[in-house]
Amino acid sequence: MTDLLLFQLRRVGRNRQYVFFTIVLPALFTVLFTQVFGAQATADGGQADYAELYMVSMMSYGAIGAALGATIRLAFDRSTGWLRQLRVTPVPSGTALTVDVAVGALLVLPSLVVVALVGRFVNGVELGLGSWLALIGVLWAGSVVFVALGIGLGIALDSQAAGAAMGIAGTALAALGGLWWPVEILPGGLVALAHAMPSYWYAQLGRDVVSGNAPSAQAVLVLLAFTAVFCTAAVAVVRRRPLHAVAG
Amino acid sequence: MPENPALDVEGLTVRYGATVAVDALDLHVPRGQTVALLGSNGAGKSSVLNATLGLFRPAAGHVRLLGRAPADAIRSGGVGAMLQHGGLPSETKVGEVLTLVRRRYADPWPLEDLLATAGIEGLLGRGVDALSGGQRQRVLLALALAGAPPLLVLDEPTSAMDVEGRQAFWTTMRGLADRGHTVVFATHHLDEADAVADRVVVVDAGRVVADGSAAAIKSRVAGRTVSFRCPGSRDGLTGLPGVTAVGGVGELVELATSDAESTLRALLADRASLPGLEVRGATLEQAFLHLTTQHTTTQHPTTRTVDERSTR
Repeated sequence: MTDLLLFQLRRVGRNRQYVFFTIVLPALFTVLFTQVFGAQATADGGQADYAELYMVSMMSYGAIGAALGATIRLAFDRSTGWLRQLRVTPVPSGTALTVDVAVGALLVLPSLVVVALVGRFVNGVELGLGSWLALIGVLWAGSVVFVALGIGLGIALDSQAAGAAMGIAGTALAALGGLWWPVEILPGGLVALAHAMPSYWYAQLGRDVVSGNAPSAQAVLVLLAFTAVFCTAAVAVVRRRPLHAVAG
Repeated sequence: MPENPALDVEGLTVRYGATVAVDALDLHVPRGQTVALLGSNGAGKSSVLNATLGLFRPAAGHVRLLGRAPADAIRSGGVGAMLQHGGLPSETKVGEVLTLVRRRYADPWPLEDLLATAGIEGLLGRGVDALSGGQRQRVLLALALAGAPPLLVLDEPTSAMDVEGRQAFWTTMRGLADRGHTVVFATHHLDEADAVADRVVVVDAGRVVADGSAAAIKSRVAGRTVSFRCPGSRDGLTGLPGVTAVGGVGELVELATSDAESTLRALLADRASLPGLEVRGATLEQAFLHLTTQHTTTQHPTTRTVDERSTR
């Protein structure tokens, strides 16, 4: 299983778009929005912790993209026939799926770490070592909800639809969940919508940690509920249409 | 100790909705045979092979590969397969994919020999996404052979190959058969079945309609073909004794006849000369058409093709 895991990690790592959207872009946003627009917000007497909060948002944004992007690739491996091919080699069935879950979970880490480093050394965010570790830890653990979503989409969709779904889901989760701008500046209706997004509660885990608290029970419960829903849907679809079935 | 048969299928039935794609089919292949499953598109060949490999659960029937359940036989490394809808992973190199698969086998085919056998020397460092259709197919062959499995199941393996690639491929297959591998392949190319297989199993509408050597199947068709060049009118040829059909291209006339002698006597009595006269036994193609057209009235090929794709 280790060799299949390394094989899959190497494949994703070769995908420049993936690296750009999950690591480079969130890091750039962190710098750009904090140094350029954030300075304005702070000068206006806004929150001094703007840099901190924006860093948490971008860690979340990068992690969501990394988790979705790595797992939705199931749809591509199905459509090329690779999953079907694997099925007629001595790879135990189920291994491919397990490996993709692991790949999704592992690839969240570089996004989190790179944006955290940018936050610390470019934007001067000061946290204790314990808080840094806790921040990365909770966001890593919480990313399971997006791994589950990506696996579900990868199983359910053919390759073209998966590509589109990736873009739509990533954008919707970021924009509506308040990752690109604070939820507080949104009109009331959109605030309610933000509170219905898993991305809002995911970032909330991080906001809780940087403000010196434990992650709120509400955020944890909402994320667990979303994870359960996505997993159940994925299992239901894979029962009807196994991974080695021909797409279309 | 008697060896288990390479492939043992009994009463295999595959349904897609209301359509029966494979109808209580039996197929027993002893070790070492090279067997062609011959049939037109939609005849049920792929369904037979996919169910045999355990890619889906058949509606009824019993499948054993090398005496074991399909999944067990595959996991133990006894089976290699080229699938019609099999493929290679993007963003990889040929060598990486081969290594991944070869490592799964306790006793893989030695690499140099594998590359030579599959005809992919020099492709190890090539990106999978840059392969031609024929190269891709040969890499898939190398994956099927990676564990030197005693049983090879190939579903239309040469579909993406040009004529030369095809010939090289079948030379490889004959070599494998000589080394004792069992090869079961599906094809709709009659020449492939004729040239390569010890045994041809003709499948039509999900049933076996003929099973034997290519020669035996050809002999199932009693008729002969009488051909000659005829620049002038073809009138009256259909009415000759024994003639069942008139064909041919350009000047060439081909008469299918159930009684070659009577047809020839009548022709010779009728004409001053018969340039280029030939009398041949039936080709495998004629035998195939003869065997399969008897069943075509009961099926709806369009519906079935759609169903097969969506359910497989």
